[in-house]
Amino acid sequence: MTSADCFASVVAPLENDEDIVRAFVVEVCSTLQEHYTNHELVLVDDGSTDGTVAVVKSLMETHEGLRLIRLSRRFGLEIAISAGLDSVIGDFTVVMLPDTDPPGKIHEMIERARQGAGIVYGIRSNRDGQSLTTKLGTAGFYWYHSRVLKLRLPKDSTHFRTLSRQAVNAITSIRDHGRYLRTLSHYVGYGSQSFTYDPIQRRERPRSKGFIEQVELALDIIISNSVHPLRSVVWIGYGLAFLNFSYTVYVVSMYLLKETVAEGWATTSLQIATTSAFLFLLLAVISQYLGRLVMESKGRPLYYVMEELQSRTVMADEERPNVVTESLDDARRKE
Amino acid sequence: MHAQMDITARYDDVVVGGGFYGCMLAAHLSRSCGRRVLLLEAAGELLGRASFANQARVHNGYHYPRSFLTAYRSRVNCERFVREFEACVVDDFEKHYAIGRNFSNVSAAQFELFCRRIGAVLEPASPEVEGLFEPRLVERVYRASEVAFDASKLREAMIDRLQDGQVEVLLGAEAHRVRQAHDGLQVDVHVAAEPSVVATKQVFNCTYSGLNRLLSRSGLRPIPLKHEWTEMALVEVPERLANLGITIMCGPFFSLMPFPPRGMHTLSHVRYTPHHEWLDGNSGRLLDPYALAQSLPRKSHFRPMLQDARRYVPAIGECRHVDSLWEVKTVLPRSEVDDSRPILFKKDYGMPGLFCILGSKIDNVFDMLGFAEATFVESQRRA
Repeated sequence: MTSADCFASVVAPLENDEDIVRAFVVEVCSTLQEHYTNHELVLVDDGSTDGTVAVVKSLMETHEGLRLIRLSRRFGLEIAISAGLDSVIGDFTVVMLPDTDPPGKIHEMIERARQGAGIVYGIRSNRDGQSLTTKLGTAGFYWYHSRVLKLRLPKDSTHFRTLSRQAVNAITSIRDHGRYLRTLSHYVGYGSQSFTYDPIQRRERPRSKGFIEQVELALDIIISNSVHPLRSVVWIGYGLAFLNFSYTVYVVSMYLLKETVAEGWATTSLQIATTSAFLFLLLAVISQYLGRLVMESKGRPLYYVMEELQSRTVMADEERPNVVTESLDDARRKE
Repeated sequence: MHAQMDITARYDDVVVGGGFYGCMLAAHLSRSCGRRVLLLEAAGELLGRASFANQARVHNGYHYPRSFLTAYRSRVNCERFVREFEACVVDDFEKHYAIGRNFSNVSAAQFELFCRRIGAVLEPASPEVEGLFEPRLVERVYRASEVAFDASKLREAMIDRLQDGQVEVLLGAEAHRVRQAHDGLQVDVHVAAEPSVVATKQVFNCTYSGLNRLLSRSGLRPIPLKHEWTEMALVEVPERLANLGITIMCGPFFSLMPFPPRGMHTLSHVRYTPHHEWLDGNSGRLLDPYALAQSLPRKSHFRPMLQDARRYVPAIGECRHVDSLWEVKTVLPRSEVDDSRPILFKKDYGMPGLFCILGSKIDNVFDMLGFAEATFVESQRRA
């Protein structure tokens, strides 16, 4: 299979991206057109409330192979990407975020994947513009994730990645609600390769997550991929139970051996404090998992699709400029 | 077939358009109503366009879970179609409907309920057939009772019917314009670029995609219609799919149906079969759909059809693309919402005695005949 023969798909989630979506689509489409005979760009609208959908609809009249899946409301980045992956038909699929990932790298990435790696994942070359707390927190998270959890999540890896058809099938067969493409694509295996790139900035002031939001994301990723925190409190529990048991032995033996036992306020309260601290920790961790279990056990669909649109262009026929290619809704509106 | 005609002749009815609907109507008017009928077809053969290039499906209703009326009428008319055109019906394959897991507008439970309501047979697929489908993407697979028709044989049957009914058929004759005369209607006909005039009481415009072309030449307002330039891939299927027809419901999915006239299957896809679409009367100027279609590039969408279809049924990946059937498909803009396929029947459109008919499903033709007969009876009563 030559490069031109390979069917290339690109998935990009959109959320209120009215300002950047046009430039993004134009760049991606021209790259795809240049390198691949068969290609598609699947945009997933994650409940945008601005003019994103209208911009995409107008682009569909001039750009081939453009598809839009509109989710019925906002489901979040990861679910939006999943909806796209469920629908792509390509031999290789590139996942990218419109505001930071460079369309110019698509071909290079797919070529790397075609040489045998099932997954080629992007590593951003810099973390410029991030605060010290974020950098420290991120370092701690990656350390815990890889050293303690022993799960692969390469440092600075982003959503920008290329997946083979096999990898897409494997990832889409996982229907967890707590899903993180960055960990799932390593979980499914198939051999992976890193790909370092310089992120771009389509927005002057890039959207960034707040500190709390980032901590929550880190916790979610850990909880949904590992039972290690639960295990560790179980071990602490054993430890504390052992200490408490030894303490009772100590108390009983003191009572039996010594004639005058001074009631120790300090030791008692220390014991109570330690035990209750641990109990609350245990409760906190258990409730995290319990919450996750409740969500997963409902077995709800990951998302609901409002509609699916695709481009219908009439090309290369300047003799007939009057051809109307709007979808019906547009036409009705004009009437 | 009549090659020439008596220009001075006067007809009761002129049917414009020798597709399946036009032929059926002409034969019916002549045989059942005893009228003198002339059938005009611009092309060199009958049933050569959309009546030929389609999924060859005799609808039994399964296809329209979102439009009960279309489904129910298909169900009712299917039996009559099979009875009347037994020789054209092909039933040597097992038709299967599968429900897509994601992106489907109907769930398996809803589909079962719907089939019970219209009284269509639906049973679980055999394990061998079910094994052909990818369970990750398909909720359930059903064996359905649906047959196909052989468009070539249907053409033969229609020619017999027309001869039997003594309908005068004129091939290569383009109805250019309909005019009101003092005692009825006149049709300007171009036979091999030679203009002539036919007098008649009624004209039936059954030109499908060309409906508005005749109307606008006659100085009448076009009917809002949506046209699609469509492609169905003709494929050779691997052995284990040879006796199967497969349709995934109900959304951006595909159908693999036997196409008897060519001894192959057609692969069509909701997303990739329509290449372009346009609406009549929206651009200010009316486009000639057949001329436009002729000028459009024929860059096949077989590859994306295959890429998607084989995700659901891996064996489809072994299909070999032989050829494609290209055709203009015309639907009512109203069908967009509920996916229904009603027949458009307009009486006295712009002038008394001019009828406009936009056919839909091949088996629903009997509904249209009933309508036409009723109007005929009414006009008799008036006279």
